[in-house]
This record gives sequence, structure tokens and C-alpha cells, in this order.
Amino acid sequence: MNDADQSSPKTPQKRTATSGRLKPAVLVVMSVLILVPSMVGFIMKFLEFIRTFQDSTDGAFAITPMLNYLLASLGFFSLLVWAAANGMFRDIEQPKHQMLANDARLNAERAASLR
Amino acid sequence: MSSATTNEILPRHADLVEERLVRWYFYAALAYLAISMTGGILMALQLIHWNPLNGIEWLSAGRWRMIHTNAVAYGFIANAFLGVLHWSVPRLTLQRVLSQKLSYFIFIAWQAVVLCTAAGIIFGPTLQAQDWVASLTDQLHLPMGLGAQGVEWGETPFWIDPVALLGLALVAANFLTPIARSKGSMYVTLWYFMAAFIWTFLTYAMGNFLPEYSLTGTSAGAVGGLFIHDLVGLFVTPLGWGTMYYIVPIILEKPIWSQGLSLVGFWGLAFFYPLQGIHHFLYTPIPMFLQYGAIISTIAVEFVVATVIINFMGTLWGDGRKVVTNLPVRWFYTGMIFYFITCFQCALQVTLTFQKLIHFTDWVVGHAHLVMFGVFSMWIFGMMTYLFPILLNKPWYSRRLCEWHFWLSAAGVFIMFLDLGLAGVFQGYYWSSLQPWDVSVTGSQPFWITRMFAGLMIAGGFLCFLWNLLRTARGRSTDSPTAVSAPA
Repeated sequence: MNDADQSSPKTPQKRTATSGRLKPAVLVVMSVLILVPSMVGFIMKFLEFIRTFQDSTDGAFAITPMLNYLLASLGFFSLLVWAAANGMFRDIEQPKHQMLANDARLNAERAASLR
Repeated sequence: MSSATTNEILPRHADLVEERLVRWYFYAALAYLAISMTGGILMALQLIHWNPLNGIEWLSAGRWRMIHTNAVAYGFIANAFLGVLHWSVPRLTLQRVLSQKLSYFIFIAWQAVVLCTAAGIIFGPTLQAQDWVASLTDQLHLPMGLGAQGVEWGETPFWIDPVALLGLALVAANFLTPIARSKGSMYVTLWYFMAAFIWTFLTYAMGNFLPEYSLTGTSAGAVGGLFIHDLVGLFVTPLGWGTMYYIVPIILEKPIWSQGLSLVGFWGLAFFYPLQGIHHFLYTPIPMFLQYGAIISTIAVEFVVATVIINFMGTLWGDGRKVVTNLPVRWFYTGMIFYFITCFQCALQVTLTFQKLIHFTDWVVGHAHLVMFGVFSMWIFGMMTYLFPILLNKPWYSRRLCEWHFWLSAAGVFIMFLDLGLAGVFQGYYWSSLQPWDVSVTGSQPFWITRMFAGLMIAGGFLCFLWNLLRTARGRSTDSPTAVSAPA
């Protein structure tokens, strides 16, 4: 089937500049919006959980889902620390360009092999 | 993401990707979707008293309902994503999977797991009623019967569970090896895929072992709630988003708007999603602080979803016309809009007052259909629409049939979602006004009839796709890579 896509590639510099300024701002705002209230909420609930677990029988049967969560989160927290320590976030935007370049080269090689 | 400079020689595509296996997974997925849709339509007919199989025990509606849900989750979605993984992971990492032989073994073993589950669901309850099976169960001290287990989406017979878990471990080993071998910083898709392998294994173990062997009562109920929700959020969602982050930039031919924002979304999902499953069990005897915790984490996930939506809309910016002209892009972005709607529904559902109204009603059924079909199935169809011409080296037989598939599916699932949502509100008010149960059933009939026609629309679209695929597969191969790589 023929692709009917006629849109021409256009990347005006003005738009790129606006996007360039907007991107870090959105990143910071969304990070703060997500991480701060969630962390505060999580810590408060965790403290509440410890108090409940110590003071009443309620905590006894709540501990299974909580432990599941904490174990999984501990693993991911370790992974986050490992990734940061190994420079995974140093040039954070680089992998998206590399991925596209590699994919284009693989496509070109595949197309050539079909001919 | 493996980094390869422009001068470095890349491995050959044929050495990385086993295309035959991708095709097999897609064909298996489509076969299970056909079975699942048949089950869904039979269930819809049952509710409006037109069940053509009435009186046949093996094909009773209760068993078909479980076939419907299991065939979608483990048959359609799992197979389709395994196909996508076999295409995308080697190309992203520039490394082969651990073993091609293992890949073929997993393919066969996974089909066996799904078919045994279906057999357990259909024949299990009948077998368990036989005296000799009951006596065998007693003699061998089996923890439960041979048939389906009483956990939603965890109905896999207990004797299949260890095999399925082993299969998931093998899948993880097969794909985590190339990810571990890749060099440099990872692209966001690989983060999502890596997490999915770990989460799916843990989620399956939690839902299929804890309630059966060690927990009872409310505690088992809480874990059951976590399991259902985590299966969507920690198995399907990371695979879905990972796939989107991979394929959308490739088709739009430009990088994702912000890799940084995508990683905020990923880590947000990792830390805040696992706790929210209990939001399905508000007003139960589960301690209130756990219920409130689920509400808070659900609201946190809404922000995570916002990052993803912003990122994809930012990527599309300037190329909006492609949503009209390019079919895979249309599938992806329609699914994304539906995803936003389902997440908005989640925010409503976790408010205690609203939950009081819609709990146990068809609202939840509409929500589930929008998530599983309107979002993830649409992304899978987008991926298939893009990949099949490449895999078959043939352009689609008919663009018109592709269009019919899209419009019937999108319209069908949207009508179903609206219809069932409205039905849920009506049912909630019937029950809260303490009217007899029968009144709510009678009042639901118009909604259930509408739902059946919406389901038939979806099935009609699927038949268009199957017919188109059959004619495409039988068509003449092309050696024009342009026509193949720009399928729709």
C-alpha cells in the first residue's frame, strides 16, 4: 500500500528554540510536581504504617502488600543509584539520537540485502 | 541503548532479528484474539438472553468469560509483545537475544501454557466434579482442584503456575542478556522493557502463589487486588510505553521530545505504581491507611501519565497531519488519547464518594475494555500495521480495509466505553436506592444490547484486518524497500 503521507519535513529554527527553552522548564516542573508531593505522601504513609503495625493488629495483615511494595521498590532504588553512579544520566538526551541513527542504518542495510 | 558511532560497523539486521519468530508470535496473538472476541460476544449474548450455547456445560458463560480475559492477557497481548520484543530489543541493543533456540522453545512452551490454561478453565470444573478426581486430589494432598483457580486473571491451574513462572524467567534471561551486553546509556524503551521482565515475574508469583498457599481472607483479597492492577500496570504498561517510545520516533523520523522527561515518567511508574492496586478495594476491611496510600499513589501516577502524554504530544508537534495520513501513527495516538481518558477515570474512581457509586458495576468493565482494547490492543495493531508489510516484504493488500479496521475498532470500543460507563452509573443508583436486583438487571438491558453491537463492530474490524492480512500474505513480494517500510 502506498503511503499517502505528503507532509514535508519542516523544523523551523524558531520552533526549535522555543522547544529548547520549554523542555528544561517542563522537565523541572514535572519532576517537582511528581517527586515532592509523592515522596512526602509516601514517607508520611510509611510512618503511619509503622505506627499502626506496632500499635494494633491491623498492621499484621497489611504487611504483605507493603512488604511486596518495599522489596520491589528497594530493588528499583538500587537500580536508580547504580544507573546514576554509572553515568546513565550524564548525557541524558544522547541515546534518543543514537537509537534513531542505528535504526536508520539497520533499515538501510536490510533494504540493501533485499535487492 | 547501545552506542555505535557512524563509522562503526553495525551488525546485520538478519543476524539480530529472527523475523520468522516475530511473525509466528503475531499469528499466535491474532488467533488468541479471535478466540477471546468469540468469548466476549458469547458473554454479551448471554447477558441479553440470546446465548446460543445455553445448556452446554463445557461452554457455559462463566467459563467463556474466563477464556475471554485470559486469552486477551496471556494469549493476545503477551504473544504480540513477545513478537515486538524479538524485533525491537536486538535492534536497540545491537545484540542478539541469549539464544535463538531458547526463543523457539519459549514460543512453544508459552502456547502450551495458554492452551493448558484454557483446558483447565473449560474442562477443570467438570473434571473436579468426578469422584475419581476428588479422591486423587485427596490422596495426593493437592492444594486445590485441577481446574481454574479462584483468582481473577490468575485462573491458570495451579499445576501450570510453576511452568509459567519458569517461562517468564526464561523470557527475562533471553532479553536481559542483550540489554546487559549493550554499551553506553540506555534508551528509555530498554528501561521500560527491563523493568517489565522483573515486574511481570514478581507480579505473576505474587498473584498466583500467595493467595493460594499462604494468605487468606482480606489479606488474600488485598494481594488479589494488587495482582489484577499490577498485571496491567507492571506487565502491559511498561511493554506498551516501551514500544511506543521505540516506534513513534522511528515512524515520525525524529527523536522523542525529551528523553529526560521520559525517564522521570519511568522512575515515577517504578516507585508509585506498585502501591495503587488496593484502590480497587476501597471500603473493604483493608486498613484505611493502606486505602489512602493507594489513593495517593494513584494521584501520583496521574502526574507520571501527564509526563508521557506531554512527551508524545511534544514529539508530534509540527507533524500533526501524520495522525491523519499515517495509519500506525493514528493507531498510536488514538490509543494515547484513550489512555489519558482511562487514567482520568482512575482519578475519579479513587475518590471514595465516586467509588461508592460505581463499585462492582459495568463502569469498571467499560474502563477495563478501554484500557485493554482501546489502548494496548490499539498500540499492538499499530505495530502490526507497521511491521507486517516489512515482515512479509509485501505492501498491504488494501488500505481501505486497514481504514475499516481502524474506524470500526476505535468507534466500537469508544461506544462500548461510553455505554458501559453510563450503565455503571445507572446500576450504582439502582443499588444505592435499594431497589431489587432484578430491577437493575432489567434496567441494564438497553445498555447490554448496545454493548453487543459495539462488540460486533470491533469484531467486524478485526475480520477486516484478518482478511487483509491473508490477502497480503498471498500477494506478490516486493523488492522495493520504500513501499515496504512505509506501510500505511
